[in-house]
Parts: sequence; C-alpha cells; structure tokens
Amino acid sequence: MRWTGKIRFLLLAPAVIWVLAFTVFPLGYSLYLAFYKIEQKVEIKREKEVILDADGKPVLDDNGQPRTKNVVIKEQVNIATFIGLDNFKRLFSDPQVAEAIRVTLLFVLIAVPVELALGFLLAVLFNQHIFGRPVLRTVMILPIFATPLAVGYTFFTIFYEVGGPLAWTGIPFLSNPNWALISVILVDVWQWTPFCFLVFLAALQGVPDELYEAARVDGASAMDMLREVMLPLLVPTIIIVLLLRMAEALKLFDIPFALTGGGPGVATQPFSLLAFRTGLRFFDLGYASAMAYALLIVVMIVVTLFFRRLRMNYD
Amino acid sequence: MHPLKWSLFALPALALLAAPASAGENVEWKDDGTVVLKLGEAYNNQTITVKQEDLGSEFGPDKQPFKDVTITLTVNGAGPKGGISGPLYQFRPIWEELTGGKVNIVELPFAEHYTKMMLDLRNGTGQYDAFMVGAFWYGDIVPAGYAYAIDEMQASGKYPKWTYDDMPPSLKALHQWKGVGYGVLNDGDGQVLYYRSDVLSNPEHQAAFKAEYGYDLPNPPQTWQQLLDIAKFFNGKNWDSTDADPDSGMVLHLKVGEQGHYHFQSLSSSFVINPGDKVTRTQNVYWFDPEDMKPLINSPGHVKALEFLQELHKTGPGAQVGWSLGEAWDYFLRGKSVFVFSWGDVGALCQDESRSKIKGKCAATVIPSSNEYYDFEKKEFVKLDTPRVIGNTVGGSWHGVISNFSANPEATYSFLSLMAMQPVSKLMATVGWDGVDPGFSYQFLEEDGGTAKIEDYVAAGWAENDAKTYTKAYHDTFYAPTSLTYLRIPGTFEYWDILDKNLSAAMSGSKTAQQALDDTAAAWEGVTDRIGRDKQKADYQAAIGYAP
Repeated sequence: MRWTGKIRFLLLAPAVIWVLAFTVFPLGYSLYLAFYKIEQKVEIKREKEVILDADGKPVLDDNGQPRTKNVVIKEQVNIATFIGLDNFKRLFSDPQVAEAIRVTLLFVLIAVPVELALGFLLAVLFNQHIFGRPVLRTVMILPIFATPLAVGYTFFTIFYEVGGPLAWTGIPFLSNPNWALISVILVDVWQWTPFCFLVFLAALQGVPDELYEAARVDGASAMDMLREVMLPLLVPTIIIVLLLRMAEALKLFDIPFALTGGGPGVATQPFSLLAFRTGLRFFDLGYASAMAYALLIVVMIVVTLFFRRLRMNYD
Repeated sequence: MHPLKWSLFALPALALLAAPASAGENVEWKDDGTVVLKLGEAYNNQTITVKQEDLGSEFGPDKQPFKDVTITLTVNGAGPKGGISGPLYQFRPIWEELTGGKVNIVELPFAEHYTKMMLDLRNGTGQYDAFMVGAFWYGDIVPAGYAYAIDEMQASGKYPKWTYDDMPPSLKALHQWKGVGYGVLNDGDGQVLYYRSDVLSNPEHQAAFKAEYGYDLPNPPQTWQQLLDIAKFFNGKNWDSTDADPDSGMVLHLKVGEQGHYHFQSLSSSFVINPGDKVTRTQNVYWFDPEDMKPLINSPGHVKALEFLQELHKTGPGAQVGWSLGEAWDYFLRGKSVFVFSWGDVGALCQDESRSKIKGKCAATVIPSSNEYYDFEKKEFVKLDTPRVIGNTVGGSWHGVISNFSANPEATYSFLSLMAMQPVSKLMATVGWDGVDPGFSYQFLEEDGGTAKIEDYVAAGWAENDAKTYTKAYHDTFYAPTSLTYLRIPGTFEYWDILDKNLSAAMSGSKTAQQALDDTAAAWEGVTDRIGRDKQKADYQAAIGYAP
C-alpha cells in the first residue's frame, strides 16, 4: 500500500532526527570551531514589566503600586575569524599534547594486552568444570557494571597512602608519577578484564567438544590444545576484543579524572582529559575541537586497520 | 459546652495576645525595633539580633517583597553543613520567610563550578541568578559584561546593610573591578602559618633544638629558613604522644587541579617581591613584567622558592602530593604535624573537638619571610637583616556575584546581603565548618585595630590564645604594607592551571624547579598571545595599579 512507505519514513524520522541533532550537527559544528576563532560579545538591556493577574489587572504591592518584574533583553554577537589550520599546527608544538599522547599510548600498550591476557586465562579456567562456576562467573563480571567515575573514587580510598587499606605496602600509589599511572592501569584492568573474560568464555564455549576429543585422541597435551585448538579458533574474537578495548582505551577519561585528576603534574593526563580541560575549563573551543578531531582520526585509523586485518582472516 | 473546653480556645488566644509583634518560625519582629533571626541546628540554634532598619526598607513584618520569586545560586558542592555552601542552606529559610521568595541552591563540584558558570554566561541562558565565585574568576566574567554591578542596590537602603569600608583595601579590591562593586561580602581568604604552640614552647624541645642547630628555637619562626630547620628537627620524631607513630614537621595540600599552587604563591612572595612605595616595573610585581607581559614566574627568586618548597615537602608525609585540603587539614588537626600554612578554616576547625585534638595548642602567625629576595633590577639576591611581612589574599575569598542575565537581581542581592550583615558575618567567621573566614574590621580584635572582643570568640567556643593569635595573624596579613598582587586578568584560571600542573610535577619529582617554571613561563606566553598581549597588558596594569 502507498501509505506503508510513508509510515516507514515516519517511523524512521525520530532516529534520523536524533542522529542529525546529536551526532551530525555536533560533528559539523566542532569541525567549524576547529577552523575559526570565535569571539563572543553580549549586550544586555533590562525593562520593567507590570505583573498581571488572571483577569489581566496589575498585581499591586503593599504600597498599592503595581508590582513589576524584570525582563532581560540580550543580544549576543559571535565574531568568527577564519584561522585555517592554526589549531592543528598548535598540536605539533604543544608540549602538553606530546605528554598526553605519551601517557595515552603507555596506557593503551600496557592495559589492553594485560586485560586480554588475563581475560583469556580466566576464560580458559572457567571453561573447565570447577566448583561453584556459575556463582564465580557472576561475581567475575560485576566490575563491568560499575560506573567508571565511581570506580575511580572508590579506588582513591583504596590507594589512600596514609591509613588506606593498602597503606601497609608503603607504595606511593597516587603521589609518585610512575605509580600513579600504574594505579590507573590497575583500576582499568580490574574493570575491563571481566569484559574480555566474558567474550572469550562465550567463544570458548562455542568450540565443539569433538575438536578437543580428537586432539586428545591424537595425544595432544593441554598446552598443545591451547596453542593448536583454542587460539586459532579464537583469533577473530581476540581481534574484535582487542579492537574494542583499544578504541575505548584511547578515549580514557573517567578513571584518571576521578582517581588522580591527571596528576601528579600531568603524569596521568590522557589525551581526552586534556581536550576536555582545554575546551570546557579554558574555553579554547577551537583548539579542543582540533584535539578531538585528531583523536578521532587516530581511532579511525586503528579501527580501519583492524577491520582490514579481520576481513583478511575471513577471506 | 464543658467548662474545660473554654481553655482549649482561651489558652491559644492568650498566647497569641502575649506574643511579640510577629513571631515566625525563623524570624521574630520585636516591638523594640529589632529583628531576631533564628538559625538552625547547624549553628546550634543560635539567634542573631539585628536592627530592623539594618534589614533595609524593603523588609518588614507585613511585607513580602519577593513573593513568588525564585532565585537560583550555584556554589562549590560541600553540602548543607559544608564550607561556603552551608550558610546558604542555613539562611535560606530566614530569607524565604522575610521575602516570600524561594531559593534554589545548585551545588557543583569544585572542578565543575567554573565550567558550568561560564557555559551559562557565554550562552546567556540565565539559568542561574548568582554564583558563589572565587575572586580569580573576575577576569573572565566582569570585563565580558557577565556580572551585575551592585553599587546602586547597595546605596538604595532597601536591602540588608553592609559596606565595603569594613574590608581591608587588599580584600576590597577583590570585590570590585575598576572601582565598581560586584561582589557581596562573605569570605576573606589568605594564608597564615599555623603552629603547635605547646610543642614550640616545650623547654625540652627547645634545648634539643639549640643543641642541634646552635640557636634558640624561634617561637614562632620569623623566616622560612628558620621554619625549615624546625620542621626538619621535628620530622620523623614521635613528639605527639597521642599515638605511637612518628610525626611530621610540615603538612601541605598539593593535589594537582586543586589548591596546591596557593602554597607556592604565599611562600614565594617574599623570595620575589621587591620592596617599594609603589608598583613599578621591578617593585611589587610577581606575575608578569607589566611593560611587555613577559612572565616573571621563572625568575631566580621563584625558582629558589620552589626549590625551598621541595625541601619543605620532605619534612611531611610523601602522600601529601596527592592530598586535597581536607586530608592535609585533618593531619594537622589530629596532631600529626607541627606546621601547616593554609586558610582561616584551620583556626576555626582547631576549636571543633569532634575533629581536632589540638584546641588551645593551635596558634597562628603571619606567613614567614625569606631572609633574601631576588632583586629584579640588580639581577642578584639581596640579604635581609630583618624579616619582613608580605601579606597575601591567596584563595578565592568566595562570595556571591550576580549574573547580568538574572531576571531577579534585587531578590538575589537581598539574599546575599542578608549574609553580609555585620552580626551575621561576625558569627559565621567564628564557626569552623561554614568555610567563612575572617577578614573584616569587626572580626578583628580591638587591640589589633578591629572592633571585636576576645569574649566574642571565647563565647563561640574558642580557646583564648588560639583566637588572639588567629585574629592578629589575619589582621597583619590583610593590612600588610606589602602584599602579593592578586592575578585577576582574563585567562587567570588557565594561567594558574598551567602553574599548578608544573608545580605538581616538580613536587612529585618528575621535573626540576627550573624546568617546571620554565615550562610554565613558555605555556603562559602561549596563553597571553592567544588572548591578546596588548589586551592582557592593559588589564594586568589596571589590576596591579601600575602606571606606565
């Protein structure tokens, strides 16, 4: 029927409007900001307006005078000056950017492999018949459901160096630059290893038992089965998990924000936190937009490379 | 009707007849021309009596000048019994009863407050009528036209009365911009040195100190160098018998993104500021060269001060690199360190025995002086024969500023000025939890040139010696002939954030003092160029009173 097509578009409209308003427009506007310097000026006038009651008569005050309210009339002028690639050029000479990239890369290169390795080992363990497996499995995945900000604040109390539960170790978890970064990594590993574990476990449980039995008949040891049966079958899953975790880790924000505030100094300030501060603390919106686009480009390159690799596996 | 039933009607009627002119739950209008403001449990149900005429002509027993008006204020989130936000909650019911209006209090985390305020102002949404601001935000809000000038309302006599004349010039300057008033009196911020009077006056410690350092233990220390010796002497020893653990010499709050850089500001001022009767290119300057806006922050004086702070840090717990105010204050209040240099809250909190073990042993004095400073003209360090007092107003001096987009500036002003009235402000300064620190003439003792009496403080629960040294320390800090200039130019928040990060890097050992301050200077140049050097220069010259 003719109206079916119209209804289809009508039903799609909210989603389209949503995407346009909250994805496409911000993307476009932030790109515009990256190439322009915006100066704002505001002119304000005030007028008194008599307050009227339901019948349209003036409401009187204690002295019998009409009560008034202020009406603020504002005129905002935005002056946009095209500055070309200046904001992008700044990225290459800004020592804060270089430091934030170093912190982000260190974090990604350490945290993600550790999460994958631990997640895989736990998945292999939980793929066996062990006592209380359902309960343990449920407990294992609980960290995923915690809010990263809350996790950050919780670990702040755990890593508290005077009187905290780990104070006996004498480790300067939050006051030493190197240990502070390790602390951020530890918290991220705590929260996201269960995600890797869950996906790997699902993949492992999809491996047919016949393959293990055949390997066992051929005299394969546990290590042989891991190397020759499990790992090859899990490669696509590992790549997907690696891709997802890398994309997330590159955008690291919440945990250092709550746990260390990016410090000491800038020892735990990742790129996203720097972009946030530049834009919403110092209102250097053009430069912050350039930073955000730079990050987007890096994440897109990583994603594309991995998808290409994944496609090659399937081809 | 049963005879007893008469009493059911008669007793309330008699009670009403015997009642004062008008008695509400939070406000009582007396026939003698006074008004009693009834505070809640947080202030131990105390009452404040003010003159009716001091409340302003808009207020009266039968008046509700802001009936149905709702005002919204933002404040650093600390809760109904927390610093700066607490008094808003406590005075809200009083104002609502006085005016018929409503107050919305929006608490925002310290790290988010500036952002939320600027977003509201830049977009002109007018969601908030006022902000409890730090004075260092002025450079971003006043020149841009976002703040509402209050002089006219203050002079009108319609609203609760207070005056800028009660403020020392150093604090008054923070509430005005080019002579126009924007800020309503509330809090006076500046750092002083707190020390354990019992420990420094202990004869055994004094003898041991003399034996080790070869001079009498100064009580209190006059110079930073003396203070460092004392802090080193006590650090690691168990001089406080309340627990078995070793104690510290100094405790600092150095967490990045918070208020660690104020330690550096107040400490370094005497290493840097060149004395002089007026502000010149080399005298009484600290931040920038007022002729070209080149940063002075990496001058040899600043570097020496930072190296000194690094030394001082070693006399306290290593964890303090990650500590906010609360942790550092708590450490001092638990009797774990001899010194802390911080804001007025500490002195008041010392008196709160639920948090403090050191009531009566918590003395205060002005921030010590360095025994040398870097002469910008001679390009060399100059030794001082006698220590000097360099005042400071570091911190926010948190107070209300009305948004220019507010549709209810009068109502908002009346609420803020209710808390600025002399009897109210006087009471608030004696209480530790409310974050309102002293700084106004009626909070200083008569013997120091103020109008308060020591009995006022003792009645509020203070130990006499603590109160005497505390009020004198603040008086001398705010009225010092030479003072650290306050940075209030556009971008101050960013300049200070850069400084803060680099200081934190230096204090945690990832940069040397020279590196940290050189990096700060380089980044400041970028900010100045971006905002506009000439514009910044003009604002800076006006802010520090420099005439080219």
